[in-house]
Amino acid sequence: MAFIDLIEPSVVQIPVRSKTKSEVLRELVDLLDKAGKLISADKALSALLDREAKGSTGLEEGIAVPHAKCDAVDQLTVAIGIAPDGIDFQAMDGKPSNLFFLLLAPPDQAGQHIEALSEIAKLTRSKSFCRLLLASQSPEEVVELFQEE
Amino acid sequence: MTGIIDRMMVYLDGSEESLAAAAYAVALAKQSGATLYALYVVNTRALNDLVTARIFLASEQDEYQHDLEADAERYLNYAVKLGSDRGITVDPLRSQGTVNQEIKSKVDQLEIDLLIIGELARIRSRRDEFFDETERAMRSVGCSVLIVKDEERVWDLYDAL
Repeated sequence: MAFIDLIEPSVVQIPVRSKTKSEVLRELVDLLDKAGKLISADKALSALLDREAKGSTGLEEGIAVPHAKCDAVDQLTVAIGIAPDGIDFQAMDGKPSNLFFLLLAPPDQAGQHIEALSEIAKLTRSKSFCRLLLASQSPEEVVELFQEE
Repeated sequence: MTGIIDRMMVYLDGSEESLAAAAYAVALAKQSGATLYALYVVNTRALNDLVTARIFLASEQDEYQHDLEADAERYLNYAVKLGSDRGITVDPLRSQGTVNQEIKSKVDQLEIDLLIIGELARIRSRRDEFFDETERAMRSVGCSVLIVKDEERVWDLYDAL
C-alpha cells in the first residue's frame, strides 16, 4: 500500500492538545485506536516508548517521527499530529516539535515500513511543505496537501 | 533465441500485488517454457537514507536490514514453492541497493526479455509519479514489461494449472 493511501482525515490530529512527549504519543495512539487501526493500543504505546528510550525520534526543524514495529497492528499504520505551539520532544536541535509523523508496522513488513519512513524523510525535506502543513486548519486540508505535494 | 519469451523475471517486494505477479509468472512459464527468475531487492539505499536523516539509529539500521533479508528469504521461498507446486523451477535472486537500479541491472545481466511486476499503486500525489521505485524500474529497463492486474483472476488461473 502506498504511503499516501494511509493518510486519511481520521488519523490526523489538529491541533495536538498534549503538552509532553509521553502525552503526545498517547494522544496519537488513541487517535489510531478510535480510527480502528490498532489491535492493542497499550502494546502500540509501549513499543513507541521503548523506541524513544533508545533515542528521541525528534529530529530538527520541528519534525518528529516516532515509529516502532510491533504486533499491535496488522498493517502499516500512520498518524499525523500538528502542534502549532510546539512540544518538547527532546529533539536533536533542542527546539520544540510541531509536526509528528507516527508510524507503526507489523514485524513482518519491514520493506513497507522502511519505504514509508523514507517517504516521510523526503517529504519533510521540503520546508515549504512543512510550513503549509503547520498552517493547516483541518484533517481534510492535510490529506489534500499530501495529495498535492 | 528459441521463443518469444525465453527468460522472464518477476520482481517481488512482499506486496500482495507482487505475489500475484509471481503466480502469473509461473502460469506464463508453464505455458511458454521460459526460464523464470524471481528477484527481491533489499533496499539498502532507503536504510542509508534513514540513517542520514537521523530517523534510524545505527542499531536500527542493522535490525531492519536483518528483517529485510528475512523478508527476502520468505518471499523468494514463497515464489519457489509457487513454481514447484506447478512443476516449474523458479530461480531466486537476492540483491541489495537501490531498487530500480538493481532491477535494471539484473535484467541486463541475465538478458531477461520480459519483466513481470505487480499492479502499481494508484497515483494519488504528484510525488508518486517520480518516486515509485517499481515504476522507475518499469521505465528504465530495456526489456518488455508486463504489469499483472486482477489478482482474483490470476489466482484462479494459477489454481487451474
